[in-house]
Amino acid sequence: MIDIYTVKKNDPDWIIKNDLFFNLNTGNEELSERDTEIIKEIDDAELKDDKRIQTKYGLGTIRNLSSGCKTLLNIIKHPEKVVCVEECGPNVLKYIFSMDNIKIYMSRPTLTDISEDTQFRFNDNEIVTGSAGYNEWWSREYERREKLDI
Amino acid sequence: MKGEKNLIYNNIHFKADPYSYDLSFEDRITLVGGDSATGKTVLYELLEDVKQTNEYNAIKLFNYKTDDICDAVTKCRNNFIVIDNADILIDDEIRRFINFEFSNQYMLFLRNCDGLNVSDKSFKVLKLENNIISLKEEI
Repeated sequence: MIDIYTVKKNDPDWIIKNDLFFNLNTGNEELSERDTEIIKEIDDAELKDDKRIQTKYGLGTIRNLSSGCKTLLNIIKHPEKVVCVEECGPNVLKYIFSMDNIKIYMSRPTLTDISEDTQFRFNDNEIVTGSAGYNEWWSREYERREKLDI
Repeated sequence: MKGEKNLIYNNIHFKADPYSYDLSFEDRITLVGGDSATGKTVLYELLEDVKQTNEYNAIKLFNYKTDDICDAVTKCRNNFIVIDNADILIDDEIRRFINFEFSNQYMLFLRNCDGLNVSDKSFKVLKLENNIISLKEEI
């Protein structure tokens, strides 16, 4: 189940500034082999033992990972947090939507691949399944917003 | 159109080995989106140096580290404004400013265009071809 929240909340258990949270927290934690593979897959970056990275743009540190990659690692390392995914491109969202037991914040939909058996729970309330359920929910949400002029 | 003016920069060109950047703009507002990890923040960091040159000293940069971004952005006139992390930073007030302050040009690393007066020429992605990084139309 993926919990999606669509209204932003100022809460210490929410991560809105993913770059900042990553640079101060996640980036300083021990990274697993899986994390290293994700860094390679999303950013095409080779992670060195001293947490430097080699990308096509040159040498950098783990702080130079893309915001999308940092967001994904924040979700993986802190599944108890609600993580804002508004800065993620479709390539990262596709990965996020293949995960389970995570909590994310998004105020609008992004088109990406969604497996037909993925379950989403919106705002601790309605549960939908697969891309059809996801798209239907957002259609209704946009109708609601239009009526309320928000 | 009344109130509109020429772009601050039609093109931004510089070299950052091993790549050359050749960024052409067709609208006063350019939204750079697409996949993650296409080099948006790398470009932002390069522009921090590029803006030190006389040619590109109209560039003003803002990201999540900027204090009071609304105040900082709305003071800008005749600038080429670049905002990284724009999806989490710009609110309705900044969107209104972008729409109506025609003396500036804007390059926003942003996916959500709600409330912005954009055209079909506004939507771009960064593309790397033959060691040249340019802005291409987002499909």
